[in-house]
Amino acid sequence: MPSLFETVFSTLLWAALASAVVFVPGCALAYLLARKRFWGCYALSSLTTLPLVLPPTAVGYLLLRLFASDGLLGKDALGFDLEILFSWKAVVIACSVMSLPLFVRSARVAFEGVDTRLESMGKSLGLSSWQVFLRVTVPLSSRGLAAATLLSFARALGEFGATIVLAGNIPGRTQTMATALFSAQQSGNDPLASKLLLVAVVVGFVTVYATERLSRSHLSKIGGPLDG
Amino acid sequence: MADDLPRFDVQLRLIRDTFRLDIEYCSSCRSLGVFGVSGSGKTTLLEAIAGLNDRLEGVVRFSGQVWLDSDRGECQSAEQRGVGYVPQDHRLYPHLSARENILFGSKRLEDSGQTVETVFTEVVSVLELGELLDRPVQRLSGGERQRVALGRALCSGPQLLLLDEPLSSLDAELRWKILPFLIRIRDRFEIPMIVVSHNPIELQALCDEVLTLHKGRAIRSGDPIDVFTDKRVFNLANESGFENLLFGKVVDRVGRVDTVALSESSESVSIKAPSADCDVGAEVIAKIAPNDILVAISEPKGLSARNQIPARITCIQKLDHRSIAQVEVSGRKDPLIVELTDDSIDELSLAAGVGVILVFKTTSISFVAAL
Repeated sequence: MPSLFETVFSTLLWAALASAVVFVPGCALAYLLARKRFWGCYALSSLTTLPLVLPPTAVGYLLLRLFASDGLLGKDALGFDLEILFSWKAVVIACSVMSLPLFVRSARVAFEGVDTRLESMGKSLGLSSWQVFLRVTVPLSSRGLAAATLLSFARALGEFGATIVLAGNIPGRTQTMATALFSAQQSGNDPLASKLLLVAVVVGFVTVYATERLSRSHLSKIGGPLDG
Repeated sequence: MADDLPRFDVQLRLIRDTFRLDIEYCSSCRSLGVFGVSGSGKTTLLEAIAGLNDRLEGVVRFSGQVWLDSDRGECQSAEQRGVGYVPQDHRLYPHLSARENILFGSKRLEDSGQTVETVFTEVVSVLELGELLDRPVQRLSGGERQRVALGRALCSGPQLLLLDEPLSSLDAELRWKILPFLIRIRDRFEIPMIVVSHNPIELQALCDEVLTLHKGRAIRSGDPIDVFTDKRVFNLANESGFENLLFGKVVDRVGRVDTVALSESSESVSIKAPSADCDVGAEVIAKIAPNDILVAISEPKGLSARNQIPARITCIQKLDHRSIAQVEVSGRKDPLIVELTDDSIDELSLAAGVGVILVFKTTSISFVAAL
């Protein structure tokens, strides 16, 4: 059996990895939805939000079908085995998919808070669209993006349903704080469950508190409603 | 560059809700003013030239370059046009210091073959930005922000400067402090500029030519005085505060009264004006309203008014309920505009070619700016 420390450390590591995985595609999706109007944008927005409203086990099952031998990303289709299922990679994928909607929604608000006139000003000063994005949009939305990252990290820390379907609950291999707490409670190991509960509350509170602070300072920076 | 006058060629159409813009205009001058009241389409025109309004149709050409030609499907993006746009609200980057803002577009300056450091140093010197450079923009006053925005445009290597209401967001006192900076920019950098304003005084002080827009159409263009005295424009201009500008030099100061030699006069014409906020010897701009000038047909005696200048009426135009006379003062390039009633024109037999004495009080003159 892994120690409490090992379980907590693995969970933090996987959640951090999931946040990192989500960052680039999440930013691209959020920017697209914040700035562009195109055919199918509402469908894309809804699809992005879907994991937030579906039962997490349903998302886990969908991913399981996707990575199964006969799935679209399975051994038969690709010609080689990605060795995702019931591995730490499955934990990261499940956490990423489940935290993506929260990241995109927060990042979209952050991008929408950037005055587009400041962006077009950059173009009139000779910057390309890409340079404007890096030198104007990203710095002005940086605190909002940091808050979005923390929020997705917090969501990944607490992920349970999709993870248990796609990665299982294998101690020392795919067990997270959430699944370990479930196992401890199921087996009547109340002292361990209580310890895990305490760690989850502390880590979760610190993360959400930091997210709140960043969100408020972001609004203040861009002159939003909280700017005194 | 100094001898080649840039050519603006603009034909634009835009129909949006109740607003309609339909402009055809071409001109060659170094500094073009665009005058009009609020809602006349000035800012839309400027955004079209800057490439910031993609809903417009038409043609925009500048000095042989085609920036927009809707029929041919040609449209250069804002970053390709090389304009230095200074919007009314400055749009400084809140996450950067004044220095970083000024240098924000310096890559284009570098690409144009100029040395960033040289231009930056000159811009900082001309706009007196030295003390502001390391301040975050949140700690800059309105006038300081305007100067930083001007500096940023100049340091982006523009081939054309676009100034949108450069003084209107500032309070009256600050406004006239910024005007000399704009004049310095025009004279030192020799970059063609288009200045949009609803204030005739700014445009008279800055521009060689003025285009007047009204309800989305160009109604009059040409020399600023000719435009502002046009029947269709004068009432609009008068609502915005049309006044005669007097360029001169403070040659003497007694108590709180200055003697100002009008610099455009080859002969020594001088006027008495209230003391300006500058040293004796400084070049100044002062102003006087057309209805503050009296016209006499012989030299008046026993008047308290300190200024009596011999002049000649060049034309009288009848507006709706009043008339304006253009009066030539010996040696002055631009005529002075004087408002008259029909009664006084009849009684004094005023007409083009009649010699008159212009009379005005010292206190009718107000100081605009020291250059």
